[in-house]
Amino acid sequence: MSIGAWLELITSGLITGGIYALVALGLNLQYGLMRILNIAHGEFLMVGAYLTWMLQTSLGFSPLLMIPLSFALLMALGLAVHWLCFRRLSATSPNLDIFEARGLMVAFGLMFLVQNAANWAWGGELRGYDFLTQPVKFGAAQFAANKLLVFALALVFSGALIVLLRQTLLGKGVRALMQSPTGAQLMGINTRVLHPLMFGIGLGLSGVAGCLLSMAYTISPAMGEPYTVTALIVITLGGFGSMGGALAGGLLLGVVEAIGMHFTNPSLKALLSYSVFIAVLLLRPEGLFARKGRKA
Amino acid sequence: MTSRQLLIRDLLVLLAIAGWGLALPYWGSEFIVSLALTCLMYVALSSSWALFCGTTRYLSLATSAFFGIGAYSGALSLEHMPWLQAVGLGAGIAAVVAVVMGAAVLHLRGTYFAVLTFGMTELIRHAITYFEKSVTGTVGRVLAVVPERDTIYLTVLGLAVLAVATSIVVRRTRFGLALAGIGADEQRAQTLGVNTRWVKLAGFALTAAFAGAVGAAMSVRWTYIDPPTVFNPFIGFQTVLIALIGGALTLWGPLIAAIVFSLLAETLRLQAPQVYMMTLGMLLILSVLYLPGGLASLRWGTLRSWWSDTRAWWTERRYEWSGEKERVKRRAREQRLA
Repeated sequence: MSIGAWLELITSGLITGGIYALVALGLNLQYGLMRILNIAHGEFLMVGAYLTWMLQTSLGFSPLLMIPLSFALLMALGLAVHWLCFRRLSATSPNLDIFEARGLMVAFGLMFLVQNAANWAWGGELRGYDFLTQPVKFGAAQFAANKLLVFALALVFSGALIVLLRQTLLGKGVRALMQSPTGAQLMGINTRVLHPLMFGIGLGLSGVAGCLLSMAYTISPAMGEPYTVTALIVITLGGFGSMGGALAGGLLLGVVEAIGMHFTNPSLKALLSYSVFIAVLLLRPEGLFARKGRKA
Repeated sequence: MTSRQLLIRDLLVLLAIAGWGLALPYWGSEFIVSLALTCLMYVALSSSWALFCGTTRYLSLATSAFFGIGAYSGALSLEHMPWLQAVGLGAGIAAVVAVVMGAAVLHLRGTYFAVLTFGMTELIRHAITYFEKSVTGTVGRVLAVVPERDTIYLTVLGLAVLAVATSIVVRRTRFGLALAGIGADEQRAQTLGVNTRWVKLAGFALTAAFAGAVGAAMSVRWTYIDPPTVFNPFIGFQTVLIALIGGALTLWGPLIAAIVFSLLAETLRLQAPQVYMMTLGMLLILSVLYLPGGLASLRWGTLRSWWSDTRAWWTERRYEWSGEKERVKRRAREQRLA
């Protein structure tokens, strides 16, 4: 293979990996902070993608304008979902184990609800629109402009979230809550504000990911589920609750998938990612990049 | 009621239901029999699921894997052996797979276990799809030798009755107590001398054997099988949903919920499949939030407490919206100032 072909292969892996990372960061935020394993996460990505598609085709909004809009809409939706379901759930569950199991079941219910509501409202066909499809040349390699834009924006949003968590007081509170919920509450960190807010931000990020995804790929109501599964794989790769790990894991999985698919068989893609997932869960359940004695 | 009276009551109820089920093919129409067949399938699946996963709180999503394995082994072996042996073979292979899978994953708890069993199900499904596509060169299989409708019905009825009877009996044995002990506090059960590793493996294999047998019995009903139909994750999800909505810790909960669900599915699914799935999701969320013990834990007291909760909530809202709350607050503030 020529250098250009290798470059194209690895970059296409990184582009899908960027989206994976963005979806996984939102899911990781919800799981790491609140122990809600939101199986419905990918469905909200689909909602973001459909909102973008709908406003782009009917009102002519630019997809770039839709990024903040879908973040805000999905965040509002997330606040509503948290207020309606998880607030009561955490008040009535006797301990964290039971809360986790019940939260998983509620998320399954949400998945059925959202996926079929979308199917009902928008129909089951594949949808899409054209946006920045002209090719861009880098030496011997050639890429579609929209995919490069998607990759750049996915990295920007992932980076922004990580900076928010590392550098600001809000992020400090969130990290404290991840380390020790009781200790953080004793220090005066308000879980009643932070939990819904972070749940909302997680869903908002999935809305952004959906918006970015709709710029480069076709969308359908069933598109969410594979992304949820991939996000789960990514956060197990990076370690539950670790943000930098999720970003690195997402990019890594994208590249591994692209290279594996190129050298074997495209129908092996799902087999490959599930094998990686199960192997990591069994052999290193604390994540690939975890160091001893340091968490979150 | 004493424990012995309870046992006799449970067995009598089971006998009555089995009698009704037995009489059904002689007076029911084709449609009613097929409805009853789906219903019995979910009774067997969710009762056996609740037997292990409900009592130990190990949330397994691998039912569809065992179902599919049973379906495939039953379909492939039916040409070479009699019907009951084929069903038994399906159960056996599913149980062996469950032992191997369980040895790898049963030391993980909670969400890790649920996610891992789901991942393994998908892995098995994709592996079989790939194997079929590249080695045997087929997508699905058409079953040439198919037993009569009544034979299938009686087998599935037998499996459903056996599943409920097993849960009745297991609850009263040392094994059942060990399972319940693991569910309540695994470490304490270990300290009290329960070999949790073996108990969990045996329970998981028992669940899988039932799912495999049901898969083998149901595959001939469809006459054509391919990986997406028999390994459909929805079979696994719906089993879990039925058990949880009915009450995973109760004996009759899964049975009641299976009947409710089959009726709901038949009435709604054909006219509005999305509405059916949305109802399913809504019901699941509501039951987890407001009835965590399941349908079978519903008593008059539960309804009464909902009623009083709603009234309390409404009184609170009226107090707030009428402006009374603000006025009381202001008066208190003025009094403090004065």
